Amino acid sequence: MDLVTVKGLSKRYGGIVALSEATFSARAGEVHALLGENGAGKSTFIQILSGAVQHDGGSILVDGQDYRPANPDAAQARGIAAVFQELSLIPDLSVEQNIWFRHEPRTFLRTINRAEMRRMTLALLDKYKFPTLRPEQELRRLTLAERQIVEIAKGLAKDPRILILDEATSALPAREAEWLLKLTRQLAAEGRLVIFISHRMAEVRAIADRLTIFRNGSTIAVHEANAVSDNEIVTQMIGRHLDRLYPERIATATDRIALSVKGFSSGSRLSGVDFALREGEVLGVGGLQGHGQRELFQSLFGASKASGSIELWGKPVSIGNPRQALIGKDGIALVPEDRRGQGLLLTKSVRENLTLSVIRRFTENGLLSRQKEAALVKEMVDFLRIKAGTPEQLAGTLSGGNQQKVIFGKMLLTQARVLLLYDPTRGVDVGTKGEIFQLMRNLAAKGYAILFHSSDMPELVHVADRVLVMRNGGIAATLGGERISEASILRAAMLESEAA
Amino acid sequence: MSAFLARNRLIVLAYAGMVVLLLVTALFSPGFLSVSNMRSTVVLAAFVGIVALGQTFVIIGGGIDLSVPWVLNSAAIVMALLCGGQDLPLVWVMPLLLAGGAFIGLVNGVGVAQFGVPPIIMTLATNVILQGLILVLTGGSPTPSAPALIQYLSVGRIGGFPVIALIWLALTLVATLLLSKAAFGRHLYALGTSATVAEFSGVPTARTTILTYVISGLTAAFAGMLLTGYSGQAYLGMGDAYLFTSIAAVAIGGASILGGSGHYLGTVAGAMVLTILTGLLPALNLSSGALLIVYGAVILLTVSIGSETFSGLGGRLRGKEG
Repeated sequence: MDLVTVKGLSKRYGGIVALSEATFSARAGEVHALLGENGAGKSTFIQILSGAVQHDGGSILVDGQDYRPANPDAAQARGIAAVFQELSLIPDLSVEQNIWFRHEPRTFLRTINRAEMRRMTLALLDKYKFPTLRPEQELRRLTLAERQIVEIAKGLAKDPRILILDEATSALPAREAEWLLKLTRQLAAEGRLVIFISHRMAEVRAIADRLTIFRNGSTIAVHEANAVSDNEIVTQMIGRHLDRLYPERIATATDRIALSVKGFSSGSRLSGVDFALREGEVLGVGGLQGHGQRELFQSLFGASKASGSIELWGKPVSIGNPRQALIGKDGIALVPEDRRGQGLLLTKSVRENLTLSVIRRFTENGLLSRQKEAALVKEMVDFLRIKAGTPEQLAGTLSGGNQQKVIFGKMLLTQARVLLLYDPTRGVDVGTKGEIFQLMRNLAAKGYAILFHSSDMPELVHVADRVLVMRNGGIAATLGGERISEASILRAAMLESEAA
Repeated sequence: MSAFLARNRLIVLAYAGMVVLLLVTALFSPGFLSVSNMRSTVVLAAFVGIVALGQTFVIIGGGIDLSVPWVLNSAAIVMALLCGGQDLPLVWVMPLLLAGGAFIGLVNGVGVAQFGVPPIIMTLATNVILQGLILVLTGGSPTPSAPALIQYLSVGRIGGFPVIALIWLALTLVATLLLSKAAFGRHLYALGTSATVAEFSGVPTARTTILTYVISGLTAAFAGMLLTGYSGQAYLGMGDAYLFTSIAAVAIGGASILGGSGHYLGTVAGAMVLTILTGLLPALNLSSGALLIVYGAVILLTVSIGSETFSGLGGRLRGKEG
């Protein structure tokens, strides 16, 4: 018998239909992938399952009994836990305090039993072979990837029969993502149901028994994972035939050096990085996470400090803050890692976000010209095909892919022709991913120079002209042409760190 | 225009509240809507409004300025001392004291933006330091009366309109241009919404922060001089009431106390609401203790209506399908 059966599930937010007559069923002991573009209804579906929101119509049966949780606690009482992409952790607490938050073991005086909590934490971490977590670490000192792992531990601490993983691998570097996939299989083998959401087809391939495809709030298809091709899945997800995810890689690099970096260092995080990025080139930056990629991108943009020399278009520059980086045509722009925390003003409009970096350009005698601004906003919304009702729509209400496009637009408006893209497709749906890659190639063809980091290795392999592999804060290898492959990147990234 | 109303629902609400309050007050105190009474209400509101102008900029930028009482008081007392009741010295005293107010704002702003001192601590400290300086300076003795020119600015009239109301109107225009029509305004809202995003977008965050405190120092000092004209002389403690009213006016005017939203046009309504309220409460024949309690409760209520609307917006953002 199915563990979960969903029929005719509907949910509206005001005039927006998020789910309409969706169906779903899954068995205990399987890994069931849930696929769909952003806005397809996946998030609403799992929010309903996990008790975060309540459905308007339809029925959910768990173990054959009606299921309608009023809140996440009620969902957990029925054995359902979710690990969301947006983290629910408290930065001031330690790893273990976060894992057991509100479910701490107590002493007979009702105070928290710290010894027992430590024992339970170690047992949990050991049972599922959690990488690199120490129970006493303060959460604010952890990287995004480590926090994501804590979030997973927190979900597992509830010993759920149904575990929902929403884009749980998107923030994880290759090795940790690998661990999570193994873990997922282990959980299924223990007789649990894992509902797995990912935009990475390879992962879905690796672990899912079955998959359900959502589009526009409805269920489009259910497949046995080994009986359907990638192409069919993508076509069903986006409702049209996507020619290819990765655009053709036409070499557009010239001999002109756009960005030259020498002896770039910052504490123990960056040590003596040298490289040159050419006009028209897409230069990938890979390696295991935490080997200096973040520091490299942030320091080049002036958002954190580093020593060394930078030349932009042949001229030595000193970049002390992002404002100095964004000085116009000869500047350098960053699409940052944290879309919501660094990239977007969520409570402001698409228009205000797009023009924030260049607002001075619309002033005449010190006063803003709304016409000039509106014209350029419209141009950029059309160019990037940003799907917003009007430019006045709040950025926080857009889908992830469209939010990312707004950040791209903001940076393109600065006219900087050296672009730093830090994991620009993270949590972005497959259709928009394709658009972003195509945009990158088009910009390169126009003479832009692009430094591109991705936590998804196939993207580097298929989009970049060359790949710098980082290890311990330095460049371990530069791969070009035929030598770019997942295996060669991994080898360069790991050789020494394996030995160490 | 309707788009403006939709985006600024809280400001519209503040004006609606002001009108309702006016009518209610008229009910209890029939002479309230008379021309002379309205005139004095606007004059009193102007002092709150001018102090709250700087406060509005600081709060939109995500800070708060607790130094306004003694910036105001210092300007008032030093002006009275330097002028000695004469008009002529005002020619240099007024610019000097405006510069002084701006300098205190600069100190506040640099402390907050460059040295990372929390705004509450930084501005509270300058407030206390100024208080001490003034006590040392005056030794507690009374100051000469205000120059006639300053008295004219705060109680005089031009064609039936109080001069200070016209000054307030002009300042409102300047503030509105800065917030709505200048690059500075856009930077300020971005800064108050998220300092990190603003920084990553190339907004000059430190300069913008410092400028808000400078504006606040300027308006507090200016209000101090005008208020001296209104009372006829400067005295210790004359700025104390403006700490609460300047912040309350901003909040009633629909700004989030956490920054990133609001407008001076809302603060203007907030200043009017507070002033009308102080006129209404005595008409209810309450004791002065009871007055304060009702005053505080009404402000709490008004602000909480605003914050509820705000959290509703947050809920909509969180509930969004991704």
